[in-house]
Amino acid sequence: MTSEVADTVCAPTPAERPSVLRAFAVLVVQSFQRHWRVRQMGWVSLGLLALIVFWVSVVTERNGWNLAERRVRRNTGTYQQEAVRLLPPQRYAAATGDEEFVTPPRPYEIPNPFNPTEEAFRSLMLSIPYAVLQSEQFLYTWSFMTYSRWVIHLVFLGFALPLFTLSYASAAFGTDRESRSLIWIMTRPIPRSGIYLAKFLGTLPWCLLFAMGGFVAIGWAGGPPGREALSHYWPAALTATVAFASLFHLVGAIFRRPVVVGLVYVFFFEAVVAALPGSLKLLSLTFYVRSLMYNEAAEAGYPVELLPAMTEAVSSTTAWSVLVLVMVGINLLGMWLFSRLEYRDDG
Amino acid sequence: MNVEQRTPGVPVGGFPGRWEPRAVVAPPREGPAPLSSEPPLLLFEQVSKWYGPVLALNQITLELTGGITGLVGANGAGKSTLLRMANGQIQPTMGRVTIRGVDAWDWRARRLVGYCPDVDAFYEDLSGRRFVWTMARLCGYTRREATRRTQAVLERVGMATRADRKLRGYSKGMRQRIKLAQALLHDPELLILDEPLSGIDPIGRQELLELFQSLAAQGKCLLISSHELEALEKLTNHVVIMARGRIAAVGTLPQIRDLLDDYPLSVRIDVAQPRQVARLLLHLPEVLAVDVSPPLPHETSETLVVKATHPQRFYQQFGHLVVEHGLNIRRFEPLDESAHAILGYLLGGSGKT
Repeated sequence: MTSEVADTVCAPTPAERPSVLRAFAVLVVQSFQRHWRVRQMGWVSLGLLALIVFWVSVVTERNGWNLAERRVRRNTGTYQQEAVRLLPPQRYAAATGDEEFVTPPRPYEIPNPFNPTEEAFRSLMLSIPYAVLQSEQFLYTWSFMTYSRWVIHLVFLGFALPLFTLSYASAAFGTDRESRSLIWIMTRPIPRSGIYLAKFLGTLPWCLLFAMGGFVAIGWAGGPPGREALSHYWPAALTATVAFASLFHLVGAIFRRPVVVGLVYVFFFEAVVAALPGSLKLLSLTFYVRSLMYNEAAEAGYPVELLPAMTEAVSSTTAWSVLVLVMVGINLLGMWLFSRLEYRDDG
Repeated sequence: MNVEQRTPGVPVGGFPGRWEPRAVVAPPREGPAPLSSEPPLLLFEQVSKWYGPVLALNQITLELTGGITGLVGANGAGKSTLLRMANGQIQPTMGRVTIRGVDAWDWRARRLVGYCPDVDAFYEDLSGRRFVWTMARLCGYTRREATRRTQAVLERVGMATRADRKLRGYSKGMRQRIKLAQALLHDPELLILDEPLSGIDPIGRQELLELFQSLAAQGKCLLISSHELEALEKLTNHVVIMARGRIAAVGTLPQIRDLLDDYPLSVRIDVAQPRQVARLLLHLPEVLAVDVSPPLPHETSETLVVKATHPQRFYQQFGHLVVEHGLNIRRFEPLDESAHAILGYLLGGSGKT
């Protein structure tokens, strides 16, 4: 077994000195490759994405983002039908019993031909909804804001994006710790802070692929308002992906059960704290991302008042600054912590 | 000098009737002295390690400069903690661990250390060759150099022809060899091997023992933790015995045995005139007792079992006695000089680790 040739082959030669930078780059690639296989959390995320895309597609197919096609209340007609019902011919028809309507006319809708002035004014007022619903600009704006509010702010930012990033970012160390194979990396001559950073850089493309891929899929499924949301919100979504990936990478490096910790964070901290009034929401990452999107929509001329939870949005400059600082800060903190933490998973 | 405990351990107070380890420090082993200008290869200086309320290592001071050193002790004695600390995986709570003067926690120290862990976890979807190659790349070598080194170490551990199979299909012995291969990749000065013989068949074990000896012959320092005391005895008689977080003894097995004054050496002697020889032996100051045992099966004459203190002196004086009286010794066998027996005396019980 022992060979003299092998003895001599192992001797280092000056031309082939090992390089720590090369080792770092190899670790980035190795970390990327280790994520090639979609793991359990990846399948959960893909399933969630499929569900969201399906839901958005169904709503889009039914023209659900359009105000005219929405029902005013359960068991009532759509806004379009209601607006038509309030027009003078329909009101007179309802009063004379010529036509049956789902909703019986309210007292103020009953025409009063004996008071022409009042009736003229009433007809004018009750015709406004119909006039508004004839405006394509209004209907499109409303569709865009509805899509932004429910799909982007609530569903995508609320839990889809955090889950996509959690499934991969937390696995960068989590998988190695679970399989107890982290020892192989920890015994290589690479600075610990470099190991942390390399693992992050190797995982980030997967997080971006899943999160931004999901964002694009949801946007395309949303029809014209979805595609416009893509064009306006992609910088904020990209930043959010990197920020969440940084956070969950740190969680994966510190905790033995990073997925559990991450889920608690997403559903209890981000979901609750970000919705609270007052300054506590400033601790939430999604608040700054929503602020960016809010400002983007405002700059594009959309009525951002339709996003009621975002009335206290910070300026874009503040939001960018905080998110960039958080990204850099979390990674620096992780590098610092990782260079001091002991891992005894091999025992 | 290969191994030295610089400051003797302090006897530990314990519960009544319970054995507590004590430090037995053998004189330094003869050999080439290290260059004074060069820091020791591995140096533990007053190192203690706490895991919460548990004291895993207690004031360890140890220096390794070369050769093969066995690390033995019962489960929970602190062996793995010591090895991981030497490899920079954990930090001491107190004291300092250095590799050639570089703090063991520093990544630069890992260039000097090859570590073969006890853990049996790999990237199972890789082949053995690909795994070792990846480890070489993670050491910072170019593709070409990594390929060259991978081939070299695989040949070295006898896996060159079997390395292209997936790791998940490997036997325990093959996995041990792959672990050893990755530890040898960067040609480290210090090799730390945690249970390297575990699960290896007798032929493979012999091959690995020869490999360890050849590595030591090249000037590498090997620190080997093993429960396989017989195999370890074949490899080296120089051991560090650990018990309850302390170094209980350091030195060669005969040296350590010599210092165990409380436990007289037992030697079996088969001789033609046992009773006359027994009388002669009782005149030696080191001899405490001589038992004349009935002959063993297939033997005709009686056997002597001698209890003596200071084994080295006893051996010398017995040699003189044999020459002086022309004794016809058919068999001379120390009964309790094995690693098992010494561990039994030091650690209590049977000495099983």
